[in-house]
Amino acid sequence: MSKDSKMRATINQKLTEMGERERLKELLRAKLTECGWRDQLKAHCKDVIKEKGLEHVTVEDLVVEITPKGRVLVPDSVKKELLQRIRAFLAQHAT
Amino acid sequence: MSPAGCSHVNAYKVDNWRQNLRVIYQCFVWSGSAEARRRKVLQNDVRWTALAKSCICHMCGAHLNRLHSCLSCVFFGCFTKKHIHEHAKNKRHNLAIDLLYGGIYCFVCQDYIYDKEMEQIAKEEQRKAWKLQGVGEKYSTWEPTKRELELLRHNPKRRKITTNCTIGLRGLINLGNTCFMNCIVQALTHTPLLRDFFLSDRHKCEMQSNSCLVCEMSQLFQEFYSGHRWPHIPFRLLHLVWTHARHLAGYEQQDAHEFLIAALDVLHRHCKGDTTRDDNGKKANNPNHCSCIIDQIFTGGLQSDVTCQVCHGVSTTIDPFWDISLDLPGSSTPFWPLSPGGDGSTVNGESHLSGATTLTDCLRRFTRPEHLGSSAKIKCGGCHSYQESTKQLTMKKLPIVACFHLKRFEHSAKLRRKITTYVSFPLELDMTPFIASSKESRMNGQYQQTVEVLNNDNKYSLFAVVNHQGTLESGHYTSFIRQHKDQWFKCDDAIITKASIKDVLDSEGYLLFYHKQFLEYE
Repeated sequence: MSKDSKMRATINQKLTEMGERERLKELLRAKLTECGWRDQLKAHCKDVIKEKGLEHVTVEDLVVEITPKGRVLVPDSVKKELLQRIRAFLAQHAT
Repeated sequence: MSPAGCSHVNAYKVDNWRQNLRVIYQCFVWSGSAEARRRKVLQNDVRWTALAKSCICHMCGAHLNRLHSCLSCVFFGCFTKKHIHEHAKNKRHNLAIDLLYGGIYCFVCQDYIYDKEMEQIAKEEQRKAWKLQGVGEKYSTWEPTKRELELLRHNPKRRKITTNCTIGLRGLINLGNTCFMNCIVQALTHTPLLRDFFLSDRHKCEMQSNSCLVCEMSQLFQEFYSGHRWPHIPFRLLHLVWTHARHLAGYEQQDAHEFLIAALDVLHRHCKGDTTRDDNGKKANNPNHCSCIIDQIFTGGLQSDVTCQVCHGVSTTIDPFWDISLDLPGSSTPFWPLSPGGDGSTVNGESHLSGATTLTDCLRRFTRPEHLGSSAKIKCGGCHSYQESTKQLTMKKLPIVACFHLKRFEHSAKLRRKITTYVSFPLELDMTPFIASSKESRMNGQYQQTVEVLNNDNKYSLFAVVNHQGTLESGHYTSFIRQHKDQWFKCDDAIITKASIKDVLDSEGYLLFYHKQFLEYE
């Protein structure tokens, strides 16, 4: 495992243990709903389903179609805010 | 992809599969922290302890990449990197669970499957986890029961609400100077929460006679949302109002504000059948804690702080209110001069053109500390003597629907007149500066918030305006109400016409109805 992914795992463990991961998830959910991201992707899902046909579409089809679009559509302000929160948390709980 | 699950789960549904599945949900899907997980695992099954210390892929150690857990053994693998797929092929374990969302994947069908029994278990475990985390109930979409499906099949007529449909709009015949009543009826039938209460048939009448005003309101809502386009004649409502609020009887023009308060009072009294019951099934009889729909929607708490000027001790009382009556400039009550909020500044989206009074100005004046003067000394509990004091009103509890009453009718001993000063009011209102013990309310609204407040709990939207044209002696009431988020209509007794937002905001304004933008579960 590379140094990068090792650090990621450590940070993730710390966040999970202190319940911060859940809090950040809730915050992110709220922010993404507020800015319309969720509705945009919901509409895109419907388009994909229409295209592939309701009987034949799989969850994997949707994941492949939605994931890149979803990543791109996250507003910078949301990214910044989450990053700030994580930084602040780590600064507070540094070992 | 079938909602009836797939045949491959049958191989899994043997022995103690239900309990095993529950353990997986409790420990790995819905659990909060690694510690909680460790504890649960130790409680349930020792076999899992060693391998299940943390949720990472057994092949590459990553925790992202859509981690899945095998249902037949203790193995975690990435979905994206296909590690779990390899495991499934090698061991012929056909089922895996997505640790992020709890979905069950079948490697033979190559898709997520939805088995009724497994879904049921998943839902139960999720609810349990939310309860443990202190989240309580979260919103979940409605799924009809068997009985409800039956009812829907037997009643096939459906009414579709499109953005242009006029359902909910209905004119009201004037029965002789009853425009004061018509306006309030328009405002009430367009109060979203009240509409939802009545249209979902939540009133259980316990009155023996036929004179229940709440039942009549229920009927009124049925009339308004029936789709009929001809005006409704509210003669039964008028008769009930005369019966229960004698002071409003007669064919003279009455005050719409007085009618609003009287109507809310009668509705509140007649709602006794709908008050919630406590755990023993006994009705909550406490008059201070009524939880009828009227109180739930309209009742707020007004905090009054009296500060002794000598010892600075504060004596606080909180009184319930259904509306806020605001004095206007040009009335004979003193204390109008107010420090301006700055020229050309915009607060709450109102334009502060020099001179124009705004609703926010009136609210600031309402919540400013008032020196009670030497002739009105209050007995101070700290000093044990009569001292001069200041009094300040602030909002302790904001109601879901806030009704502002601009005191345009002056009835002092000397004169009776109508104050026609224009007061500008906004479409969206933030009540944060006026709530009790906020820094802004202490500085009387002069403190400008530089950081955007994450708390949306104090934001309101305008949804109805009642206007009065004419003089005290002869006048006419009309109202504006809001449909479908941004469509406004003018209601002039039997005549309903489309109105622009500008028409609404330029109107004089007598009663202003605001609705909270965000509602929380209790």
